[in-house]
Amino acid sequence: MAAKQQSQLPSKEASLFRHLVQNYESKQYKKGLKNAEQILKKHPKHGDTQAMKALILSNQGKNDEAFALCKVALANSMKSNVCWHVYGLLWRQIKNYQEAMKAYKMALNLDPDSTQIQRDLAHLQVQMRDYNGFVQTRRKMLQAKPQFRQNWTALAVALHLSGDLAGAEDVLQKFEQTLEKNPPPKSDIEHAEAVLYKNTIIAEEGELERALEHVEGLYKSALDKTSVMEYKADYLLRLDRKADAEAAYRLLLARNQEKREYYEALEKALGLDRSKSEDQEKLLQMYQSFADQSERIDAARRIPLDFLEGDAFRKHAEQYLRRMFSKGIPSTFANVKQLYSDPAKKQTLRELAEKLLSEQPSANGDAAPAQANGSIDGASKPQKSDPTTTWQLSVNYFLAQHYDYHLSRDLAKAQQYIDKAISLNPSETDYTYQMTRARILKHQGSVSKASKTMNDAREMDLKDRYINTKCAKYQLRNNEHDTAVSTMGLFTRKEAVGGPLGDLTDMQCVWFLTEDGESYLRQGRLSLALKRFKTVYDVFETWTDDQFDFHSFSLRKGMVRAYVDMIRWEDGLREHPFFSRAALSAIRVYCMLFDKPELASQSHLNGVAGESNAEKKKAAKKARKEAERVEAEKKAKAAKAPQPKADDEGSVKKEDTDPNGLELVKTDKPLEEAMKYVAPLLELSPKTLEHQIAGFGVFIRRKKYLPALKCLLAARALDPSHPRCHELSGRLQFALQNFSEPLPEKAQSVVDATFLSTLPSQPIADVNEAFLQANKDSAPHVHSAVRLRYALKADEEARKRGVQDLLASLGAEGTSWEEALEGLRVLGEIEADAEARGEYVKAARERWGQAEVFVVS
Amino acid sequence: MDIRLLHPSDIPHVQQTNITNLPENYFCKYYMYHALSWPQLSYVAVDVSRPKKSPYDAPKIVGYVLAKMEEDPIDGVQHGHITSLSVMRTHRRLGLAEKLMRQSQRAMFETYKAVYVSLHVRVSNIAALALYRDTLGFTVGGTEAKYYADGEDAYSMRMDLDYLREEALDAEDSDQEDTVGQDEGGEVGSAGKAGEGADAKQKERKRKVKVGRQLGVQELVENNASSQQAKANGAS
Repeated sequence: MAAKQQSQLPSKEASLFRHLVQNYESKQYKKGLKNAEQILKKHPKHGDTQAMKALILSNQGKNDEAFALCKVALANSMKSNVCWHVYGLLWRQIKNYQEAMKAYKMALNLDPDSTQIQRDLAHLQVQMRDYNGFVQTRRKMLQAKPQFRQNWTALAVALHLSGDLAGAEDVLQKFEQTLEKNPPPKSDIEHAEAVLYKNTIIAEEGELERALEHVEGLYKSALDKTSVMEYKADYLLRLDRKADAEAAYRLLLARNQEKREYYEALEKALGLDRSKSEDQEKLLQMYQSFADQSERIDAARRIPLDFLEGDAFRKHAEQYLRRMFSKGIPSTFANVKQLYSDPAKKQTLRELAEKLLSEQPSANGDAAPAQANGSIDGASKPQKSDPTTTWQLSVNYFLAQHYDYHLSRDLAKAQQYIDKAISLNPSETDYTYQMTRARILKHQGSVSKASKTMNDAREMDLKDRYINTKCAKYQLRNNEHDTAVSTMGLFTRKEAVGGPLGDLTDMQCVWFLTEDGESYLRQGRLSLALKRFKTVYDVFETWTDDQFDFHSFSLRKGMVRAYVDMIRWEDGLREHPFFSRAALSAIRVYCMLFDKPELASQSHLNGVAGESNAEKKKAAKKARKEAERVEAEKKAKAAKAPQPKADDEGSVKKEDTDPNGLELVKTDKPLEEAMKYVAPLLELSPKTLEHQIAGFGVFIRRKKYLPALKCLLAARALDPSHPRCHELSGRLQFALQNFSEPLPEKAQSVVDATFLSTLPSQPIADVNEAFLQANKDSAPHVHSAVRLRYALKADEEARKRGVQDLLASLGAEGTSWEEALEGLRVLGEIEADAEARGEYVKAARERWGQAEVFVVS
Repeated sequence: MDIRLLHPSDIPHVQQTNITNLPENYFCKYYMYHALSWPQLSYVAVDVSRPKKSPYDAPKIVGYVLAKMEEDPIDGVQHGHITSLSVMRTHRRLGLAEKLMRQSQRAMFETYKAVYVSLHVRVSNIAALALYRDTLGFTVGGTEAKYYADGEDAYSMRMDLDYLREEALDAEDSDQEDTVGQDEGGEVGSAGKAGEGADAKQKERKRKVKVGRQLGVQELVENNASSQQAKANGAS
């Protein structure tokens, strides 16, 4: 903490103040507070001291107190840079970076040369992606202290991020020049990294010749050899120096034979084109030459299956499968399933597997000497089994997965093969086959049997967390929350606060939180569902904040390429499917809450509707117990933690004041809350249809017709024939027709040009009926039409016809049970009565006997 | 299954793979700490044959090795440390653990001049012990009492990286050879093709004295001549 102006304290207090600052910096908060008190006794209006005290309070988690005190301090010393700096730090502490930035700037006005304030400001600027500000601050810092490499590198990074590549290169170059007299030792990793960083910038500028020349100069002394080799190879290839590029990629492949990127580049260097049939023989030879180098290489054997066709494919695929089957490699199917998008390959693979099923392993001439249990991973070796068993087990397992896969699904056959595999499995601990049996059951919709079967698998190897995890997942799919938590608890830290769920939350176990939330959502327990999705949202907030410390750390370490990578990743953090999945569910809940606000009060521990009294009582009892447990835990915690270690110890972990999401679900602005999830989806992952549909759903409810239109147009661009596009279009048209106030002229003309003018002239309802007639055999189309009809006119007539249409869709040949389940949801949306739902469920059960998911809710 | 360097964007899935497979789990920030302190050392195995579900699919991580350098080695010897390594059960028997480990070890050696690599394993974890010892070539150096939060002891294991030193020398010798693949690990590339400078070579050899086999190595240091001789003496 810079403490330039101590506004004339006498020497004794001035010395105390210096101690106070030191206390803060070394986290001796208790001592610091004592020193502060001592100064304040004599100088009760000393702003800087009050500010320092406030800073310590905030670090102890007492933010309200800290802010109040800091405001007093500012009133006392409006012109103190210390007070403003602290004020900024307090805002930073609560993550209000805008306010923090303002306060830092005030402080910097008062003390323009303070390195500390500059540094804090710079960190905020990069965190906020205010790159222009970041460049300015870094430039000032470099001017003040040009003797440090860090300051040069930092300015280069700032310029790079702001898009000024030439400027960045120039700064790095200038610093290198200052080293010419005393070149750093070759082992200086920071220097080596800065030089490589410069190389990447030259390449990014598009100056490949120069980048190549530069990297060749580094080649022999480089510490990060892999990078240097990769850069060189990449530049050569892009410069079309094919022979050199070939050599460079062969060198890389000698180091790592399992990297597609190298092989693909080598193909290019050799001028080979997968799509040309005349090149295929050469390509095959190339891959064969790598495969021949080692029995262990997978990539060189697998890649040709991507481009070969017809007989060549059949021949090669057979070799591939033989080799994998004789080794008993469990991921064989996973390795080839990508090929199933090609129907001919899908068929060939099935035929081959069925042919090989009847063979004995001795017949597979070209495969390596069968390593029946050649487990190269050592771990969990199956018990000794003879080659015949390994072979048959592998082939049966493959076929079970084949028939389980959605592109080649025949679950009855899948069952037969997996049963056979289980009967062949010689190991008592290898649960692989039971696991797949559970998966097949899940695909039948037999969620409870799937859960039980996965638990059987778990019990085969109790020390294995992988199967334990799978089991918990299946338990959640079967809505067994408590059991799933206990299952997970077998491997979570026993000392974790809040039990297994607390540990899983701490450890940012996003999948569990999401599955648990989805399970609650299926049960209509909206508060807990929302709570889980919000927790996922918060995990992503934490991941955003996690980068903060690296703004200084990475410059100290000098690993700038990795730092820039990290910044880019953080920029798009929420495009991650982990985020989208939780976000889509959260948006759904908020829309439900908007449509039926009464759900908020019903949701706690209750199904949406129709739970029996006994169940309600049970749930209430459980809730009471849970509350008691939480209370007891709190007490125990309070008793156990008298003083946090010594008098330091950073911020105390905040208690969750709303563990069951009851506050969350009570929101009176569900759509505004939903926007927190919608905005990142539309910004970062707009090319996903579901995201546009979710965005539309929120915008149309908010009567924001232009953004809704934007979502609709984006959805159409992605898949114009998607049934939901029809539905959304109708809903928007209807909303626009019935909107009481006219749109602003400009908006109206956009709507006309891009939307209204493209629509048929018939009434929406007629268009919808025609759509339904034309697509009767597709359940998703029927769902959309029924939803739209009800949106146009929510009356008894629409409901009755909706029920009829949905019932009819159950009979359509192509309907899957998953689609039928969605139909059940649509019945809820059109507020069909219990009788209609019962009839629907009965019909669905008749058709999908195994599926347990059809229940009248 | 591709083997490649761990990027920051892989972290969410690496974290998921870790908590799916192993009892020792970490915050995202701890993975970032590795990826941003020693960005050359951690590797992932990626299932590249997964059909894409959306343009935003994150690479499916089926195995990873999270590695670091010991910051202040007590023994004063530069060495790497394996913080965590795991491979999804569904992707066993492909040799992924070994392939990951070899890439990481080479980077430790090349970038940080690591002499050996260490790791800890729960004494109860027989499977992991077998993997490290029998498959990867680690040896048990001792036991650390109550190493784990739950009070369990750890075997402390290590593996010398001599073999990489020799491979590097071989590579220098086979100068113009384009590509060499070898069974079992197959790292015999010509890493420093075309003119590994005499300077660097000498340094390598001097280092070798510290841990390498006494005979031959000594001669290498004294006999700091052409690569022909280096081959005669150093290649195994």
